[in-house]
Amino acid sequence: MENIVETEKTGSASVPQTGTGEHMQTAPHADEQEISKKTMGERNIREISKKQMVVKILVQIALYAFLTLIAVSVLFPFYWMLISSLKTWREYNEAVPTFWPRQFEWSNYTAAFTGELNLGRLFLNTLIVGVVSTLLSLIITILSAFAFARLEFKGKNIMFGAMLATMMIPGELFTITNYVTVTAFNWTHTFTALIVPFLVSVFYIYLLRQNFMQIPNELYLAAKVDGTSDWKYLWRVMVPMSAPTLISITILKMMGAWNSYIWPRLVANDAAHKLVTVGLRGATFLVDGMDNMINYPAQMAAVVIVTIPLLLIFIFFRKYIMRGVSRSGIKG
Amino acid sequence: MEMEKTDPALNVTAEGAEVLAAEATGEAEASGKKPALTPEQKKIRWKAFYNKYKAWLYLLPAIIILLVFTVWPIFNTIRLSFLIDYNYQKQIGGKVFEVGFSNYANVIQYTPFLKSLGTTMLLTVITVPISTLLALLIAVALNSIKFFQRIFQTIFFLPYVTNAIAIGMVFMAMFTQIGTPPYVQSYGIINTIIKAFGGKPINWVNQNSNYWANIAVVCIYIIWNALPFKILVLLGGLQSVNKQYYDAAKVDGASRWRTFWHITVPLLSPMIAYVVITGFIGGFKEYSSIVGIFGDKMGPYSADWQLMTIVGYIYRNIEGSNTNQGRASAAALILFAIIFVVTMINLYVSKKKVHY
Amino acid sequence: MKVVLQNLTKIFPSRDKKDKSGEVIAVNDFNLEIPDGKLIGLLGPSGCGKSTTLFMISGLEEPTGGKIFFGDDDVTKLAPENRGIGLVFQNYALYPHMTVQQNILFPLQNLKGENRLSKEEMLKRANEVARLVQIDEYMNRKPSELSGGQQQRVAIARALVKMPRVLLLDEPLSNLDARLRLQTREEIRRIQRNTGITTIFVTHDQEEAMSISDFIVVMKLGVIMQTGKPQWVYDDPANLFVAKFLGTPPINVFTGHVENEKLYIGEEEVLDVKGAADQEVYVGIRPEGFILKQTGKLTCGISGIDVMGRDISIVGTNGSAMTPAIRAIISADELKNAQGTVAKFDLKPHKVFLFNKESEERVWFGSQIEAHAEMVEQMKAEGQYYTTHTGPLPREQDDKPKEDKPVEEKKGFIAKVKAFFSRKKDAQDAQPSEAAEPSEESQETKSEE
Repeated sequence: MENIVETEKTGSASVPQTGTGEHMQTAPHADEQEISKKTMGERNIREISKKQMVVKILVQIALYAFLTLIAVSVLFPFYWMLISSLKTWREYNEAVPTFWPRQFEWSNYTAAFTGELNLGRLFLNTLIVGVVSTLLSLIITILSAFAFARLEFKGKNIMFGAMLATMMIPGELFTITNYVTVTAFNWTHTFTALIVPFLVSVFYIYLLRQNFMQIPNELYLAAKVDGTSDWKYLWRVMVPMSAPTLISITILKMMGAWNSYIWPRLVANDAAHKLVTVGLRGATFLVDGMDNMINYPAQMAAVVIVTIPLLLIFIFFRKYIMRGVSRSGIKG
Repeated sequence: MEMEKTDPALNVTAEGAEVLAAEATGEAEASGKKPALTPEQKKIRWKAFYNKYKAWLYLLPAIIILLVFTVWPIFNTIRLSFLIDYNYQKQIGGKVFEVGFSNYANVIQYTPFLKSLGTTMLLTVITVPISTLLALLIAVALNSIKFFQRIFQTIFFLPYVTNAIAIGMVFMAMFTQIGTPPYVQSYGIINTIIKAFGGKPINWVNQNSNYWANIAVVCIYIIWNALPFKILVLLGGLQSVNKQYYDAAKVDGASRWRTFWHITVPLLSPMIAYVVITGFIGGFKEYSSIVGIFGDKMGPYSADWQLMTIVGYIYRNIEGSNTNQGRASAAALILFAIIFVVTMINLYVSKKKVHY
Repeated sequence: MKVVLQNLTKIFPSRDKKDKSGEVIAVNDFNLEIPDGKLIGLLGPSGCGKSTTLFMISGLEEPTGGKIFFGDDDVTKLAPENRGIGLVFQNYALYPHMTVQQNILFPLQNLKGENRLSKEEMLKRANEVARLVQIDEYMNRKPSELSGGQQQRVAIARALVKMPRVLLLDEPLSNLDARLRLQTREEIRRIQRNTGITTIFVTHDQEEAMSISDFIVVMKLGVIMQTGKPQWVYDDPANLFVAKFLGTPPINVFTGHVENEKLYIGEEEVLDVKGAADQEVYVGIRPEGFILKQTGKLTCGISGIDVMGRDISIVGTNGSAMTPAIRAIISADELKNAQGTVAKFDLKPHKVFLFNKESEERVWFGSQIEAHAEMVEQMKAEGQYYTTHTGPLPREQDDKPKEDKPVEEKKGFIAKVKAFFSRKKDAQDAQPSEAAEPSEESQETKSEE
């Protein structure tokens, strides 16, 4: 405290050389004086302020214009799908497309359930596959994630690493053999073929394991002290605590069943087991009595019905979907 | 190596399942029918066994399924790729296949495969840069507005939660023209818009449509579809960039343009690299968008397979008795090799350019 | 460049738009004139609005009310890049992907039009500044390859390179270790003197502020408590807050009362206080204000004696003290006067400060009255003006230390699970959702500083 006054006095006369001590001050004094004199000169403040405001407003306008343009491009297919689905076939085929249906043709929607598409059956099939595979997949994922997160065993790291390594391999590589395997098991045209091969997702195991690892170790030790078995601890503590991740997995898995196309088309393309997307793509939507004329409004109605559940899930579970998505490049 | 590691698990399978169920109900009661062991003894034995192999019991279901549907296919697909012109149906019929490299040789000389390779590369090379740059611009714009940010974000995410096949059909409907030239009834909404701006209608997707017009439609759809994920990742990255760098840039008098190129892009480079790499991988596996638009024959009417991709080629050769699963296996392995090499190149480049 | 702050006010709006009580007055009707070429320290505990003030001067934060002048220019509405300021951030905010040289060159490369320099000139200028802050050897390193002190100097170089009219430093030393802090603060002092740029720096460390500032501004809850030369503020605090905030070891505070121009602490009459009216007071006594004497008037229990180099301090107790321990620094010769467990002190009148118990404002007495008047005169002569805060502070209730909520410590893991859940939920609530406006977030952090 006492030396303040001293510093005060000596300041301008002799520069205290307490720097880093790496080398003596090299800049000549004149140089530094120069710097101080060359400070930004006086300017017309008012003019600068005005220009600054104008630029700011223009930039904001440009940003909103750009974002609006993109938003319109993103939304346009949805809009077109909706209004097309409500048009009559005749109106749809007019030379100048209308941007709002003159007359709402709701029968396009009922046709989707009654016609060749038979959406009701497709929904049922998809629901069965979705629910069963989600449930089984959750159980398997939970058990595996627990083993990797909590239990100690020989070869754990090698095992986990090997599993992660399989994520690098494109799924197409598996499909050929799996098709042969499923045929050999006589599983073609069964729900089993749709469910079993995809029960294990290494990514979900990884995701859940990370979640489990975040649960503080003391909880596990406390459980041990209280005499709780691993099994009980897993289901009573870890699973409830990881609910958000489990919900994410459930949603993504259900969406996966809804959107899956390649595999179901390959192994279960019959009416009794067909899934929604396969049915949708496979249906011809031909206009009665005319060859090669596609009834686009009817097709769009079916597309709307397939799309709406997804959008609803997105609206209600936005947070969970985004959580899962931002950590992976996978879709569905 | 994998097989060895999992062996102990396989040994305990039989007892494991039963006991796991017992444990699930909370009690490991044994029936005690065997005269040699009392229930007590059995319980103790089980406990010892359980404690020793507990982890493997938990992993059992996953391991079995992975072995059958992931590990085995890796080896088997490699094996099949060396069985000349292998087909499962024919194998059942008693045919024996020779071993050799000719599947690979045939695939890379086979014109349809080469064409599908070209199409795949074309789609990737066009869509990845465009969608990445666009997503970057959108993310930056989103990050610098105050109002409606959330609404815009939600809208931009919508394509992600759609069914690729279903919306592909919508794009088809938007681009298609009704009637056969020269007797076109309706040119479709996109052509109508083009005409409104003074352009000429284009035959995008219909009979006799041009390959490049098809590619353009597919690219637009892929970009539309790929944006949400990229925006999400990049926006997340932007929001985690320390705001002080932007404050510092402001004080330093950097223009928006310079801030973007000299601050935002370098600081975001890990995210950009991630988005580009996943974009390349996705691009090389392109399939559903084309099936969505053009149907499972992957081409406009009367020009089937005009837009076949590598994955399309593989799937075309899986099913039925006349297909060549040997060549499909070879193609799948070539695809894997391509993806691997491209990813490595990407990683190498980003190591030099990316600032972590 | 003279900097004038006129009625500067910053209110962070409440998160809940309907409930106005959530709004935070970070800076309240702030008036200050900073003379050209001086180094001033904005000092106060965290949350006192000092950084907000700095950011408003920089233009990164927009004032809710009031004006900012640089010289005669009203710069209140001007964007940071047009103000001609240099700003050194608390974490330096060096661009991690650029080398030291690129970092320093960056502001120059941003200049446009007539201000644009040639490449050679830019390099020359960058080298000049680098030499000034003594980092010219590290021009090709990345910030991550530098020590904290070196990074700090790069940050100063970057701020100086475009020759700002005003240099602003936000807690410039808080990320350095103790030894480096001492070195660097002298460095800052040196650079400031050599360039003569008006410099404002923010700190919560009173020692730091007092050691290098030409004058300091002590703030509390967005209000100026006192301004002046550091030694003056230390010697003549205007209120209890300033007295408590400055000085290590801190001032000892007792409750007492004045009766017939005598000061009583507890039952003991300890000092003549001529000129002070009868009232209840807080008595602040600097540690160096005690004289240990067998005939001393203030009696304290001794709980320990610390010998620290040439100083010896007695740690004692007194029933009227506001803190459990009081500390008196005495000389070695006086120590012999300590007997057993009781110490008796006489007090040095100029080290004893009285504060009215209600307003906590200073009550001058005896020779302090003249000394104070003299000081104020001297400040005026030097072109400074003496400022203190009078009247109640905003949000005074927040000032009181929060009562420690008894944390329920339940045993058993179910309880821990519950605790974990509630904690997690809190964390989630506290976290802004993905789409939360970034501006809102940043305000939050700044108002908390």
